[in-house]
Amino acid sequence: MPGIDECLLEAMRLPGARGAALVDWTSGLALGTVGESPGGDHETAAAEAAELARLAAEQHAFASDSDPQETEADPPIEDLILSNRDSYHVLRFVPTSFDSSVFLHLWLARAEGNLALARIRLGEMAGRLVLG
Amino acid sequence: MTAVRTPPPRLPVRDKAAAKECGWGGVSPMLTRLAAERATGVLVREYGTLHLAEGQVVHAESPCAPSLDLLLAVRGTPDAGTGGTEGETSGRHRAASRPAEGAPVTPGALELCRLVALYDAAYFALGPSSTPGRFRYDDAEVPGAMRPVPVADLERETLRRRDLLHRIWPDQRTDGAPLVRPDALAAPSLTARRRAVLNRVDGVRTAADIARELGRPAFHTLVDVRRLVAAGLVSPRPQAPPPEPAPRAAGPADRDRDPDITLLKRLRDALEAL
Repeated sequence: MPGIDECLLEAMRLPGARGAALVDWTSGLALGTVGESPGGDHETAAAEAAELARLAAEQHAFASDSDPQETEADPPIEDLILSNRDSYHVLRFVPTSFDSSVFLHLWLARAEGNLALARIRLGEMAGRLVLG
Repeated sequence: MTAVRTPPPRLPVRDKAAAKECGWGGVSPMLTRLAAERATGVLVREYGTLHLAEGQVVHAESPCAPSLDLLLAVRGTPDAGTGGTEGETSGRHRAASRPAEGAPVTPGALELCRLVALYDAAYFALGPSSTPGRFRYDDAEVPGAMRPVPVADLERETLRRRDLLHRIWPDQRTDGAPLVRPDALAAPSLTARRRAVLNRVDGVRTAADIARELGRPAFHTLVDVRRLVAAGLVSPRPQAPPPEPAPRAAGPADRDRDPDITLLKRLRDALEAL
């Protein structure tokens, strides 16, 4: 997969996809955005999603039991799923070989979206983006 | 005798809205002008350099921020010379032309890392400076440049980042000073990322040193350092370390320092915002 935009465009092909973004959760920077943005502004949406992702990634309660503290995965969680009355948000953390803190954010319309499929596909895309 | 009483002249107040239009409202008026005239060349500022192509930023470097090679190299995955992106064989981007030593970095990862590095270096390059910037018109293409970033986006992001740091802990001394751990209390449960930063605080290293050692963007390290300072686990080393002969009695060491121009500017902005 060639780059960030291609990865996001692939995410937009999922049924019900309304918008997708690649966001750095330490700084809140949107490294790429495609489609609509929740709330109408990509930058604000990225900053808000980053804050949520950071909080989730920093809580020990959400880490996997099988990770001993010393070798804990970074970040310790895989994805975050949030739903409201008309849409789903899936935040998928992207593991990279170098030090980074990014996640894919997919916004899905609830009527057409398939949460299970989106979650699986996002995981595959996150892997391909950085691991080839 | 008739005294002519003229009212004192109005104090000059900068009109923020008008200022923005003529390019005085951003982080660097010069950069705003260069963007408007779609200039190509290199802007050298006190804390870093921005490379422009047709008024957009294609590359940034700063002595305060780890370079792209370093970010990619630290975890043992230097770029394997994927060759997929054109024009990367020049020496200016050594990461892209280094021989393979580990797993190849995909174009996606390279683009991601390059963008992160660009915003990171630009944050410092656009920081408050005490000397004017210089611009050199230069048509030479920056090799390996991809995804040019509009100046307006970069300036907005830089201001947002300053604000983010300020909200975590409003003391910018932590950004440049050597860091110390006030007491060796057992740290409460920290994330792996923050523990890595804390473990390198030794009274000598600054946030930028720690960023280089971890191969982590410098701004990200500043965020972690400010959170550690807010938690009381780290503090900037006092500027005047206690002198050995101790000739002076204890007194406010900072009081006789010249106020810095940045502080005056911030005071002015704060007063105008009232």
